[in-house]
Amino acid sequence: MPNESTVVANERPTVAGMSDPVWVRIRDLIYQVSGIFQAENKFYLLLNRCQVRMKAVGARTPREYLDFLTTRPNRDAEMRNLLNEITIGETCLFRSLPQIDALRKVVIPALAEAKKKLSYTKLRFWSAGCSTGEESYTLAMILLEETQTTLKGWTFEVMATDLNDHSVAKAQEGIYNDYAVRNVPPEFMRKYFTQSGSNFRVADSVRPFVTFARLNMLDDSKMLFMRGIDAIFCCNVLIYFDGKSKTRTVQHFYNALLANGYFFLGQSESLYGISEKFRLVHFPGSTAYWKPGDFGSKAGSA
Amino acid sequence: MRTGTLDRLHSRITSIDAMPTIPVILRPLLRCLDQPVEQIDVDRIVELVSYDKTIAAQCIRMANSALFGRSRPVESVRTAVMNLGMWRVRDLLFSNSLSQVIPANRWVVDPAVFWRHSLGVALVCRKFAEVLEYPDTEKAYLAGLLHDIGILVNSMVAPDEFRSTYEKATREQIPIDEAEQATLGFTHSDSGRVLAEAWKITPDLVQAIELHHDIGDPERGGPLVAIVHLSDLLCRLRDMGYGYYEPRQIDFANEPGWLYLVMHFPNLAGLDFARFTFMLDEYAGEVGELVSTVFAQA
Repeated sequence: MPNESTVVANERPTVAGMSDPVWVRIRDLIYQVSGIFQAENKFYLLLNRCQVRMKAVGARTPREYLDFLTTRPNRDAEMRNLLNEITIGETCLFRSLPQIDALRKVVIPALAEAKKKLSYTKLRFWSAGCSTGEESYTLAMILLEETQTTLKGWTFEVMATDLNDHSVAKAQEGIYNDYAVRNVPPEFMRKYFTQSGSNFRVADSVRPFVTFARLNMLDDSKMLFMRGIDAIFCCNVLIYFDGKSKTRTVQHFYNALLANGYFFLGQSESLYGISEKFRLVHFPGSTAYWKPGDFGSKAGSA
Repeated sequence: MRTGTLDRLHSRITSIDAMPTIPVILRPLLRCLDQPVEQIDVDRIVELVSYDKTIAAQCIRMANSALFGRSRPVESVRTAVMNLGMWRVRDLLFSNSLSQVIPANRWVVDPAVFWRHSLGVALVCRKFAEVLEYPDTEKAYLAGLLHDIGILVNSMVAPDEFRSTYEKATREQIPIDEAEQATLGFTHSDSGRVLAEAWKITPDLVQAIELHHDIGDPERGGPLVAIVHLSDLLCRLRDMGYGYYEPRQIDFANEPGWLYLVMHFPNLAGLDFARFTFMLDEYAGEVGELVSTVFAQA
């Protein structure tokens, strides 16, 4: 897999190349279909990813590629290909540092405080659409680390589910290459990984806290069993769902969460128009959706 | 703030040695820009830009920067102004002239951090005002730009105390006004108000400066205060803050300023606020470019 910074350094196009208004239309279309937003200062990435697809389908201009996404018979498949291209390289451990900071500095303390009042000392996180386990292990490592401070004496579990059997099997192996661990802070590397040839294996101390299972999020009967969760993480998964399936799945997530629970999407992913029940909350550099408590209280709000 | 503290602060600020003076260029600039962008006199702006060699050089440098990707170099002030557009020229003029309020060696907060925040808030205020269809988007911009001038005042009138206040805020990751209240007994909102009054800035802007952290009853400050308050919060959450991490969770839809604006500007209820937030990253890029131009070594 190419190193993103190398791609950017070598292939960053000029602003002039991005001035074509078609890019804004493509950006808006992606947002409308998937909920992923590309800020204009990141257009070079969008352009880069579109160019890969343009080459694959033989589109000569952005305008022509827009036709591939809107009017050609296989437009849905092409949108899916483009979304795959856009989210490529996003599956790594410690993917979103602002989200991790929010988790450690705001969310976990707020959850701990709210639950302590009810004499609960257990947290349950759900990594929904866990792919090959990077996010699931990251969450377990963070929670483990927090048991040294905020969560002293607490227990926790991370449930990790994915539709794809191969992904689940790979996740259970818990072995990653150096590209997947590129964001892991050195102290976490030392504590929670062992070197295995040129790869890195998740330490045994982390594994018991993560349970992997196959789950189809569109299967209502299975989703009904997911209950009592404090935080759900579902990154770049709903982007592939149509409007109805999205709404239904998000309703399941809402039901699965405890009051005051959090729902995290990808870094630039939005729930706009999908659910009115969740409340959008802001942390430094990241956002999440929060399930209001019984009395609509503002947990942790400033 | 207690009346006694305000009086002491007032006399301290207005004492001749410490008082930051209004930059020469600012008054004509404010007059010139106090009208719709299509009516702004370009010749007058070019004249104002040419008046200050540093600013003229910065305009030309910025017009030639990668952001504008021009094939031929820009050499004249007029071409630079035309290429940059009124918004950017104005941003450049404002931040530059306000930077001259305090000597380079008196800054407590890194000037690049300060301007990144002030210009960020100004841009977000304007965008917010547009979304709301608040009639005076330019006033919103100006209120955003000036909202933190009290930080300049504090750096001038109480440099040592303010330095330790800023260090405390950074160390404890608490809002600056909270640290100021604890150590100085007044905040940059209070001192900003005193300076704004001394500069004879219009009363609605004075109020936006005074109430931007603690808006109190939103009816008192009206839409301008609410816009500045929310834009300030938003910038602090999107990498245009005071240069340190503020661990907090904000539910904007539950903020008094938001609730007030929803009541008076119904289109706010339909705003895709997540998208609005993501869009701010575009501003962060633009502001970053501007600030690095202003503060780059000539």
